[in-house]
Amino acid sequence: MEKLKYEKPVISKITAGVPSKFGLPAKQKIISEIDGTKVSDLIEEYGSPLFVFSEKTIRNTVAEARRAFETRYPKVQFAWSYKTNYLNAVVNIFHDEGSWAEVVSGFEFEKALALGVNGSHILFNGPEKSAKDLELAINNNACIHIDHFDELYLLIETARKLNKKARVAIRVNMDTGIYPMWDRFGFNYENGEAWNAINRIMLADKLELIGLHTHIGTYIMAASAYAIAATKLANLFMATHRKFNHWLKYIDLGGGFASKNTLKGAYMPGAETCPSFDEYAEAITNALISSEIPHENLPALFLETGRALIDDAGYLLTTVLANKRSSTGRRNMVIDAGVNLLFTSFWYNLGIHPSQPTSEYMEETTIYGPLCMNIDVIRDAINFPHVKTGDQLVIERVGAYNVTQWMQFITYRPNVIMIDSNGKTRIIKKKESLETFKNSEAKD
Amino acid sequence: MKILKEVKISDNGFVFNSKTGDSFSLNPIGLELIKMISEEKEMEEIRQEFLSKYDVDDLTFEKDFYEFCTLLKHHQITVQNNSLEFN
Repeated sequence: MEKLKYEKPVISKITAGVPSKFGLPAKQKIISEIDGTKVSDLIEEYGSPLFVFSEKTIRNTVAEARRAFETRYPKVQFAWSYKTNYLNAVVNIFHDEGSWAEVVSGFEFEKALALGVNGSHILFNGPEKSAKDLELAINNNACIHIDHFDELYLLIETARKLNKKARVAIRVNMDTGIYPMWDRFGFNYENGEAWNAINRIMLADKLELIGLHTHIGTYIMAASAYAIAATKLANLFMATHRKFNHWLKYIDLGGGFASKNTLKGAYMPGAETCPSFDEYAEAITNALISSEIPHENLPALFLETGRALIDDAGYLLTTVLANKRSSTGRRNMVIDAGVNLLFTSFWYNLGIHPSQPTSEYMEETTIYGPLCMNIDVIRDAINFPHVKTGDQLVIERVGAYNVTQWMQFITYRPNVIMIDSNGKTRIIKKKESLETFKNSEAKD
Repeated sequence: MKILKEVKISDNGFVFNSKTGDSFSLNPIGLELIKMISEEKEMEEIRQEFLSKYDVDDLTFEKDFYEFCTLLKHHQITVQNNSLEFN
């Protein structure tokens, strides 16, 4: 006689409370394959945990963003935010799609040059630029975005020493109506510091002011804040022209577009609440086009979007190590990917999904990573079906920041693979081994 | 392991504990299991029945059985023993 299908026995307490007006999802989402390749095959070939990037998704997302802006504004230039993800294979796709490089350190600058980016297509941001970094930037004709007055004077000194002219912009911080207001980077608009910086630069013979830059924050849910930012930069743009008869070449609205991840504490899923590229584009381009800048002198619009272009293209495949109960009977699950690999789990409720059909019975669960550290919590509370040891799960939208902010801690960092546009897979960053560390440590 | 006399189990998987006022729901396998426990069947007997009836290996079933019993104890559905009497 054929045996019946088994399911884990479950007893769930019925709790009265305010019912959710949204109800529960009708069906548990299952991610069994990525770009046509089975999750189980990927883990079998490359191990678990495993970061997977989809070239197809990256290119489609870039195309969507470009269409949104290029159909609304005559001159648009994206610059890939290296800090969001600087794996060579990922960066090369963005450059292939026409993006310049946006870097925030000497290391990232060197990386962009090594990847063949023309120095004049590098935007050099950030508060930390050494004299050596500035020399590199001047010699390569990069666009240096000045963060503070000390940097401005170091730049003047460096340019004099090299007897070369530096192409510069200033970073401007401002009140755009969002909280928290980022004022730690750049020169303030409202108190006149930004205008003061423009004046000093225009009087320095070794500096050529070519642009204005702002970056109003991160994961900005209100597209209207960008309209305020664009309007304020347009005001500085016109003031510079009126006083110095000088047309700047570009206005850089930075990054900060939200991805579809859900922030901790958010009531609704990010996929339903974050603005689309069209909404951001509409706000920004309308503000620039309706400003007092004459249409024939409209500057190029630079965008340094990172998160929103790459988050969806990254997945982390992981395996269930154990199910257990806490002292209060709560269901706990341990998986083989921890916060050392998932920096974004500190601020997102990451989407975690089984890779194969599961029981329809869900239970509130805490998902822990494998580290022997109390902080290693991937999800505090997620309604999750019963899965067993060895089952494979997929964590989605992990393309931004994780493979740059990850830590080598307790375990080796895993393989990272790319699924190319033809569906072929290849390792783009090899798993660490003991050799990785032996090579850089003293042989005591 | 003994189910409290105050606990009533319906045939559709609804459990009510009149001692605590709590109610619970069971999935079909959970219902089958709690009924066997309430009939005071021994673990070994229950295991044999499940292994012959369902497509499950003995270790998986053993793990699930003890986890289920832990939850019954946690929810005060079974008669409570002193946990610190190590016998």
